Amino acid sequence: MKDADLAIVGAGPAGMAAAAEAASLGLGVTVIDDNARAGGQYFRQPPAGFRHTGAMFLDKDRARGSVLAAALRHPAVAHWQDAVVWDMPEPGVLAVAAGEGSGRVRAKAILVATGAQDRPVPFPGWTLPGVVSAGGLQNLLKGQRVVPGRRAVVVGNGPLLLLIGANLVRAGVEVAAVVEAAPIWNRILPALASLARAPDMLALAIRYRAVLARAGVPVLAGWTVTGAKGDEAVTGCRVAPIDTQGRLDRARERSFDCDLLVAGFGLMPSLELPRLIGAELAYDRRRGGWTVKRDADFQCSVPNVHVAGDGAGIGGAEMALLEGRIAARAVARKLGKQVPADDDLRRAWAKRDAFRRGLEAIYAPPASFLDLMTEDTVVCRCEDVTVGDIAKRRSELAGSVTQVKATTRLSMGRCQGRNCLVTLAAMVAKDTGVDMATIPLPRPRPPLRPIPIGDLAFEDIPPPDIPADPHLPRKQRA
Amino acid sequence: MSAIPRRADIAVIGAGVAGLCTALFLARAGRTVAVLERGEAWGESSGANAGTLSLQVKRNEVLQVSRRAIELWRDFQERDGMEIGFARIGGLRVATSERELVNLRKSQGEQAALGVATEWYDGNRLRDFAPWLGPEVQAATYCDWDSMSVPLTAGHGLVMAVRAAGVTVATGAAVTAIARDGEGFCLQVGSEIVGAAQIVIAAGAWTGDVAQMLGVRLPVAADINMLTISEPAPRLFDRVVTHIGAILSLKQYPNGSVLIGGGWQGTGDLAQGTRRTDYLNLVHNLRVAMQVVPALRHLRMVRSWAGYEGVAADALPLFGALPGVPGAFVNACARGGYHQGPALGEQMAEMILGRKLSLDMRAFDPGRFAA
Ligand SMILES: Cc1cc2nc3c(=O)[nH]c(=O)nc-3n(C[C@H](O)[C@H](O)[C@H](O)COP(=O)(O)OP(=O)(O)OC[C@H]3O[C@@H](n4cnc5c(N)ncnc54)[C@H](O)[C@@H]3O)c2cc1C
Repeated sequence: MKDADLAIVGAGPAGMAAAAEAASLGLGVTVIDDNARAGGQYFRQPPAGFRHTGAMFLDKDRARGSVLAAALRHPAVAHWQDAVVWDMPEPGVLAVAAGEGSGRVRAKAILVATGAQDRPVPFPGWTLPGVVSAGGLQNLLKGQRVVPGRRAVVVGNGPLLLLIGANLVRAGVEVAAVVEAAPIWNRILPALASLARAPDMLALAIRYRAVLARAGVPVLAGWTVTGAKGDEAVTGCRVAPIDTQGRLDRARERSFDCDLLVAGFGLMPSLELPRLIGAELAYDRRRGGWTVKRDADFQCSVPNVHVAGDGAGIGGAEMALLEGRIAARAVARKLGKQVPADDDLRRAWAKRDAFRRGLEAIYAPPASFLDLMTEDTVVCRCEDVTVGDIAKRRSELAGSVTQVKATTRLSMGRCQGRNCLVTLAAMVAKDTGVDMATIPLPRPRPPLRPIPIGDLAFEDIPPPDIPADPHLPRKQRA
Repeated sequence: MSAIPRRADIAVIGAGVAGLCTALFLARAGRTVAVLERGEAWGESSGANAGTLSLQVKRNEVLQVSRRAIELWRDFQERDGMEIGFARIGGLRVATSERELVNLRKSQGEQAALGVATEWYDGNRLRDFAPWLGPEVQAATYCDWDSMSVPLTAGHGLVMAVRAAGVTVATGAAVTAIARDGEGFCLQVGSEIVGAAQIVIAAGAWTGDVAQMLGVRLPVAADINMLTISEPAPRLFDRVVTHIGAILSLKQYPNGSVLIGGGWQGTGDLAQGTRRTDYLNLVHNLRVAMQVVPALRHLRMVRSWAGYEGVAADALPLFGALPGVPGAFVNACARGGYHQGPALGEQMAEMILGRKLSLDMRAFDPGRFAA
C-alpha cells in the first residue's frame, strides 16, 4: 500500500490546480487519472507525439493547461496515468487499477475531482451512428482532432451548444442549425447582472454567437430535437418548438438533413465515487439534478473527503480551478502547513458562482424531455432496453427503480447505469407523480469503472484464510 | 406497501426462493396463501445470489434434496414456462493440489454411494475435455446434473407464477409480531392484522428474529457472500466450475458475462443492515478464478456486490415444525438454498398438507437445536 498526504482523483482543472497548490504547500500528493495525459475534459490534450497543425482555435487555452500539467511533474507529486480508482474499500484508502502498478493508496485526505458526464436524453434515433454527445464530440475535436461529419445539426440544452456550433464552423463543418431547448433570448436581460460578474465568460459567449452569425447558422431557441432520421446512420433530424407550458408543438415540426447530429443536454456531475462512499447529496433542480453537499472547504459529509469542480456540481473550468485550490489549501491547513488566507480565491469563486447561477437561469430546461421518447426508444443502450420493455415490467410488478433494473437488466451493462438510470428515475417520478429528489438511485458498487480482472493479480497481499469446512458459518473481517 | 390480505389459510413470511416455492406448491394444492414480504419480493439473498445449481458441491446430507430441486427447476422452465434461465450444462469441480486430489477422490466415492455418479478427469483427458482450464488444475470431477440459472429472471418468473396460482404477494409488509389465536395465528403487519391457520417462516437470514417473535431460539448466522460479474465476452468456457479446496464458482451466461463467486466473505453486519465487498477477499476470489480459468484476466469486471446468506450453526437447512408451536413451520437457511428452494418448497407443502414426505427430511428438523 502506498501512502500520500493528499490523493486526488481526476487530473482535470480541479485536480490539477489542487495538485499544484498542495505540492507548493509541502504536501505529498498522488494524482490518479484514467487518461493517458492530464487535462481532463477542458484541457484535453492530443496523445503524446501527435502532430497536427490545423484547428489551432482549440488550443487557445493550451498554455494554461500546460502550466498546470507541468505542476504534476513536481517532485512531491506522483501522477498515475491510465489509472482507474475503482473503490474506496475503507476510509482514506483508494483501490487503483493500473496494470502491473495496481494496488491501494492510503491518504490523509482525498480530493474527488472526477468532473462531469453528458446528461443522457433519449429521443427516437439517438442511438444511430452519427449521433454523438456534446462531450464525445469535444473529445474527438480536442483529443483526436477529428470531425466525424460534413453537415451537422447541434441540438440540446445548455451553454455548450454555442461553443460546439462555433467549433464545428471553425473546423470547416457546415452547421445547419443550433437547436436550443431553452428560450434563451427572452431570459438574457433579467440575468444580465449575474452574467456581468464574469465578463470574460460573457465575452466568450458573444464571440461564439458571432462565429455562428457570420457563418449564417440559425440558432433556434425554445426548440428541441424530436427525432433523428436514418436507417444505417443518421441522415437528418426533426425539430419542434416547445410552447410556454413546456409542451411540444409537433404541428410546427421542421427537419434538417445532416450526417452528424450532436446532442448535448447539459452536463451532470460524475457522482459514482461520492455515492459509493455514501456522501450526502442534494437535489438542485436549477443546477440540473444531484450535487454533492459540501462545507466551505468543499469537504463532503464523509470526513476528509473533499469534492471539487464539476464532479460536485456543474460550474465550469474556472470554478473548478478555484475549488481545487481552496480545497487543497484546506487540507494543507488541517495537516499543519502554513497557508495564506483564501480571501482572494473565495471572492473570485463567488463571482463565478454568481455567473453560473445566471447561466442556469437562462438555460433552465423544460420540466423533462420524456415526451420525446416513444414506445421503442432505447433507454439503456448497453442492454438494449426500450421504453416499452420498462412499461411492461412496471405494469407486472410494483415497478420501483430496483425492480425494473433487476427484471430488464437496465443499467447492468458496461456503462454501469451512467447513461440510463437518470432517465428511469425521471420516468418513475413522472408516472407516480413524485419529485425526482425522492427517488433513490441504486448505490454504485465497485468497480467504479470497468477494470481488467488481470489488474488484480499484482498487488502483494497476505495469503487468504481458507476455512477447513466452507459449508459452516463463516467469519467476516471486522 | 401493497394491499395486505386479512386472512389466509397459510401466511408465509418472506418472498425469497424458500417462501415463494412453498407458496407455489401450497397454492397448487388449493390452499389460500399470503406471502408477506418486508421489502421487495426477491430483494435479498434470492435476488443477490449466483444461480449456481451444482449438485456435486453440496454436502452429502442435502444431495437428494438438491437433485430433486434440479428436476423442479427444469420443470418450472420447461413445463410451466417460467423464465428461469435454467440450463443443465454440467459442471466441473477442480483440484489444484495433492491434498485436494485426495479430498476430491473421497467426495466422489461418497457421492457415488449416495447415487450421484461423477466422472474423473485428469491429464490429457482433462485438457481435451476442458482446454480452458489453467495448468495448475490437476484433476476434476464432471457431474452432468450440475446446472445454472439466472436468478434475476427466475425471481420475476416465480413471482408471476405464484400470483397466477392465486397467491397474494404483499410487499413492504414486514411482520413485526406474531401471536397465537386459538388454533391459528395473528400477524402484525404495520397497523394491520393478518389471520392465518398456519404460518411458514421463510425469512432467510432473519429467520432467527421471526422465530423469536414466537419465543423460539434458532441459531442463525449471517454470511456475507460476494459476487463479481464481467462484461459480456466471447465464449471462454461452457460448464459450471467449482473448486474442492479454494472457494470458487464460475459460469458464463448466454450473453457472455462471466459470474465469479463461491462464497468469499464481504464485510458488514446484518443487525445494522450494512454489507459491502471486502477488498482483500475480492482480490483473492478473482485470483483463484484466474488460476482456474486464466483467460479471465483479459475480461473487465463491471460490478461486484455482497449479499446476506442465513446459515444454521451446522449448515444444514432449518426445515420442519417450529418446536413447541403447533401450526408454525420453518423453511430457511439451507446452504445453497437457492438451488434447493424448489425441492424444499415442495417438501414443506407436503408437510403442511399432512402428506407423507417423498424425501427424508428428518435431519433438518429445527427441533435439533431445542434445548
Ligand atoms: C452473493 C450470494 C451468492 C449465492 N450464490 C448461491 C448459489 O449460487 N446457489 C445457491 O443455491 N445459493 C446461493 N446463495 C444462497 C442463496 O441465495 C440463499 O440460500 C437463498 O436465496 C435463500 O433464500 P430465502 O428465501 O431463504 O431467503 P431470502 O431470499 O433472503 O428471502 C427471505 C425474505 O424474508 C424477508 N423477511 C425477513 N424478515 C421479515 C419479516 N419480519 N417480515 C417479512 N419479511 C421478512 C426478507 O426481506 C427476504 O426478502 C448465495 C447467496 C449470496 C448472498
